[in-house]
Formats: sequence, C-alpha cells, structure tokens
Amino acid sequence: MNSEADPLSRLHPAAMVINALKSIRRLVSASALPGIVVLFSQGLSPLTIALVLLGAVVLVVLAAVWGFLSWRATTYGVVGGAFRLRQGVLQKNERTIPLEHVQSVDTVQGIVQRIFGVYEVRVETAGGGSGEPDASLPALGRGATEALRREIEGSRREPVGTEEEAGPEILRRLSVRDLLIAGATSGQIGIALSLLAVGSQVFDEFLSEAFFRDLVERLAPNALVVVLILVPVVALFAWLLAIAGTVLAHFGFTLSRDGDFLYIKRGLLERREATIPLGRIQAVRISEGVLRQPFGLASLRVESAGYGEDAGVSAVMFPLLPRDEVQMLLREAAPEFAVDPPLVPLPRRALRRYVFRGCVPGLILAAAAILVSYLVFDAAFGLPALLLVPLFALYGWQRFRDAGWALEDDRLVVRSRSLARVTVVAPRRRLQSRSVFQSPFQRRLRLATFGTEVASGAGGSALEVTDLGSDDAGRLVEMLSARTPFRTGSEEPGRRDHPA
Amino acid sequence: MRDEPSERLDPRAKVVWRISGALNMLPLLAGAGFGSFVLLRWVETSLFIGILPVLGVLVLAVFSVFVAPGLRWRRWRYEIRPDEVDLQRGVWWVSRTLVPLARIQHVDTRQGPLQRRYGLSTVVFHTAAGPNQIPELSTPIAAEARDRIAALTREQDEL
Repeated sequence: MNSEADPLSRLHPAAMVINALKSIRRLVSASALPGIVVLFSQGLSPLTIALVLLGAVVLVVLAAVWGFLSWRATTYGVVGGAFRLRQGVLQKNERTIPLEHVQSVDTVQGIVQRIFGVYEVRVETAGGGSGEPDASLPALGRGATEALRREIEGSRREPVGTEEEAGPEILRRLSVRDLLIAGATSGQIGIALSLLAVGSQVFDEFLSEAFFRDLVERLAPNALVVVLILVPVVALFAWLLAIAGTVLAHFGFTLSRDGDFLYIKRGLLERREATIPLGRIQAVRISEGVLRQPFGLASLRVESAGYGEDAGVSAVMFPLLPRDEVQMLLREAAPEFAVDPPLVPLPRRALRRYVFRGCVPGLILAAAAILVSYLVFDAAFGLPALLLVPLFALYGWQRFRDAGWALEDDRLVVRSRSLARVTVVAPRRRLQSRSVFQSPFQRRLRLATFGTEVASGAGGSALEVTDLGSDDAGRLVEMLSARTPFRTGSEEPGRRDHPA
Repeated sequence: MRDEPSERLDPRAKVVWRISGALNMLPLLAGAGFGSFVLLRWVETSLFIGILPVLGVLVLAVFSVFVAPGLRWRRWRYEIRPDEVDLQRGVWWVSRTLVPLARIQHVDTRQGPLQRRYGLSTVVFHTAAGPNQIPELSTPIAAEARDRIAALTREQDEL
C-alpha cells in the first residue's frame, strides 16, 4: 500500500464520510439560525426553496471534497518509539507523542462508525486536561485498531510468557436487569426534570397557550386535580427519561482486565471502549445512593490522574452491583483498593454538631415558610413547616452514624454521606497533602476536620472526615506521613507517581 | 500533633494585606453606598435603616484592614522539612497542611505589583492535586525557599 519510505498508514476510507458529515454538521449548525430567520422573513417562495436546495447541494459537494482531502492528508503510525499523527489539508500539522507518555488508547463507536464497522480511536496522554483528546483518529477498522493498540500498549508492557496473550479477562458484565435497575435508581430524575422543563418551554413556543388552557379547563375544572394528575405524569416521564439515559450510556457495560490495564466497554448507540491503567488509579469510590442503599446496591467509580476525558461517566468503574460483591470485584480488578476494614466512628460529642448542621437548612426553610405565610397570606399555615426540622435533625444524625475512617495496610478509608453514602479508598502513596482544620467551636469540643487530596483529572479531589477527635486527626496526619514506617510492603519506597 | 512550624512570614506582609484589604473593600463600599442611597431616596426608610449597609461594610472594612492582617500574620507559619512542607494558617478556621516533598511537581515564585513595591514574593508549589502557597516572604527568602523545595524534591526523587 505505502512505499517503504513512509511507514505511516492511512485511516479507513470511511473517514472521508465521517469527516464530511462532521463538516456538514458544523456548517449547518452555524447557518441554522440565520437560515431560519431568512426563511421566516421571506416566506416559502419557490425562490427561497430553490436557494436552500442549491445551498444544500453545494454544501454536500464541498464537504465531500473536504472529507476526501483530509482523509488523504491524514496518516498515522508508530515510528521510533513514538506515536505520530500527520494531518491538515491547508495547514500541515504533525504531532508526535512518545509512547511512554501515552496514557490510554480509547475507542468510541458512534452511530456512523457503527454503520461502517469502524472505530474512532483516541490516544490520550497523561497531561491532557479535560476536553479534547490529544490525538483522535476518526475511523480505523477493527484490525487496524487492535494493531495500533498492541503497538502502543505492548511497548509499555514487559513481554512475559504466553499467559499475557490470553487477552483481557472479563471480570463483570452488567445484565439488562441490572441496567434497568441502575436507571430506575440512578437519582438522575432531577436532571431529567430540568430537561423536561427546557423541553416544555420549547414546546410552548409551538403550541399556543390558549390550547393548553382549553385542554386543562376541559380535562378538569379543579386546579387541584390537574396538579394531582400532572405531577405524577411529569415525574413518571422524568423517571423514564433517567432510565433511558442510563440505558444509552451503560448498555452492555463490561469490565475486563488484562495485566495492568482495566478495559471498560459500554454504550447502546455509541459504543465506547476506555482503558484505565491500574497504576493511574488514585482512589476508588463506593457510592450507595439513597434509592440503592435499601436494596444493598452500590456503584463503583475511580479517581484517575490526568485522565483526559470528561470526568463524569468515564470515571464509572461499574454502575451497579450488590454491596457485598464490591470487595470481590475489587480484589480481581484493582486489588490495591480491596479493603473493607471496620471504621472508627466519630466521638459522641460530634453528634450535636452534625445534628445542628443538619437542622440549619430545615430551620431556614421553616423560617421562610412562616414569614411568607404571615406576610403574604396573613395566616399561620407556615407553622407546620417546623415539623420538617426533626426530619433534618434525623438526617444529621444519620450522617453522623455513617461517617468514619480507617487506616488499613497503608490505605486510607473514609466514609461520609451527603445524600448517597460514599466510601473512598486511597493508598497512602496517592495522598497529595494532608490537613487538619479546626474552628474555635471545634476546639472547644476537642474536635477537628481531617482532609486530604488525591489527584483527579486535571485537578484534585478532596477526602474529608468532619469532626473527628482532634487527637485522632493529628495522629492520622502523622500516620500518613512518609516518615512513618510502612506497615506492609505495598508501598514502594521512593516511587514517585507524577503523571508524566 | 507535632509542634508549630518554625518560620514566620515577613512582617511587611501585614502592610500589604492592609492595603489589599482596603482596595478590596472599595467596590463593596461603593455598592453599600448605592444601596443606602436607594433606601433613603426611593424607599424612604428611616435614616437608621438607610445607613445600615454602609455601616455594615465599614465594620467589615475596619476588621479586614486593622484587625485581620495582624491575626493572620500571627497565625501564619511554615517550615520546609527534609521530607515535607508544613503550613499553618487561618484566622477563624485554623488549618495545618503537610505536603510531602515527594509529591511536589514544580515550584515557582510570584510577585504582584503591590508585593513588588514592598519587596515581597509568594512561593507556589504544585502537586498533582493543585497548588499550595507560602505568601509574603521577602524576595530573597522566597527565592531561597523555592530553590530549597526544588532541591529537596529532586533528592526525594532520587531516593
């Protein structure tokens, strides 16, 4: 195919179509607004229709030419210990990434890519912040993808026996049943609701207000009935939307491991394959959502250093599994994080601070309700809002009960609750800094807040234990110091884990 | 927990903090003045309620210009140990932070216009989780601290 002089290879020809579609999408989205304005101001005369059609044809032709040119201009390959990507039609651009800087080779398969049976390959480096991947190849065939992955990742791995050739071992797969449960308990109803609100505004633009009023008046003369019907319907719809979102993102979620790498495959329409090098995982979060905890369910997330993708979904290690199987999965997937020690609870004297903090929003809410009911309606029906306060106190008490910490085999385990109960496991050598905070109120009760940070994405992520005994906080800071002798062999002395 | 860190910031820090505190208060004061004006002129509240915003900001300004810098300076301490940088700070919430040198990726010194006027600099050192700083050291001491942190970091690296 290529001459000897050029060891770089071309993308799959499907890249032409994908590039063309991409530029069409860009141009259309840029011209959509002015286009609509023109359409509305001119009306649908034959002339405008002809113009629009002509514009569309020109657009498609230009995009096709551009797609071909950019396909011809793009070559990639691994040469001399570095990944090279050459691209650019007018302005030539060559990017070289030394293989040891490559963090992972991820693939995404959008709908268009699925039609052609190709993959978008993203080569991510450790330094790359969130947002754009460091190098992206829009279309490679299955074989080429595997070859590139082997070439890049193989170079970083010591060639050990035949065992390595066995390929990734599947650790856990998300069943369809679990997927639906995950969606139903995801607690993303809030997000779905706000989406609905936006959607209904758009909807309002098209359907006149009079139509709605008519509908409502005919359906139910009583406003209360309307509310009683409308609220559950909207809530149900939002709930279904949340389930659909989870299904789209996590369908066929598969976690597998091959040596020092974890592989995650997921997605219904857009198939994604991500790699997480075990050495980059800074902390594991076991999160038991409010809706999931009663059923003994949890989800697993990882904090990974300098991982180039948007933090949200990419950090999910496994979306839903029974709480008592978490340790089993961690032992196989990331043994460094598989600890479940009994936690040291907070001292009794911290309880009143937790209850107080829990009550504050309740008190504010109640005060607002009472004030409004007096000022606006001149009545005392805001008073029952005070009944909310014990509920918030209960929440504070629950937070107190859930909080705790432990130090086991050089790993720090911290648990807290905001809504979900979250347990974080981080090895000592991943902690970036350690702090003790104390306010005068805490000092009076001999309490303090312990905080530490692990690297996460481009920045850091904090782990905190609020209101533990101040002696314990000081002890924790000292015990986590590099000077304290290692309690197990798990920490390699002198090893420095800077993302590079 | 171990003893307080040994080193203090440069005493001129208090002057810089007073000036910057006063400068920060100006927009707030302007806002409060406008608020009072609105209350008195258009809402026509009593004089006492009308001047409350300005009074409030003035109290805040007195605190942040005359009281806080002294307290802050007295609390701020640091120490660069062979294995860790130890920081203590905070007027109300006292915090004590230890940053292992082995985690530090790079160090810089910084100098704002006000700091330049008083010959002060800030040492900023970055870990993978973000920056930490020792503010308001006299410029030669800041340079020394920066070089010391860099050297110790390298040493930790080679261990």
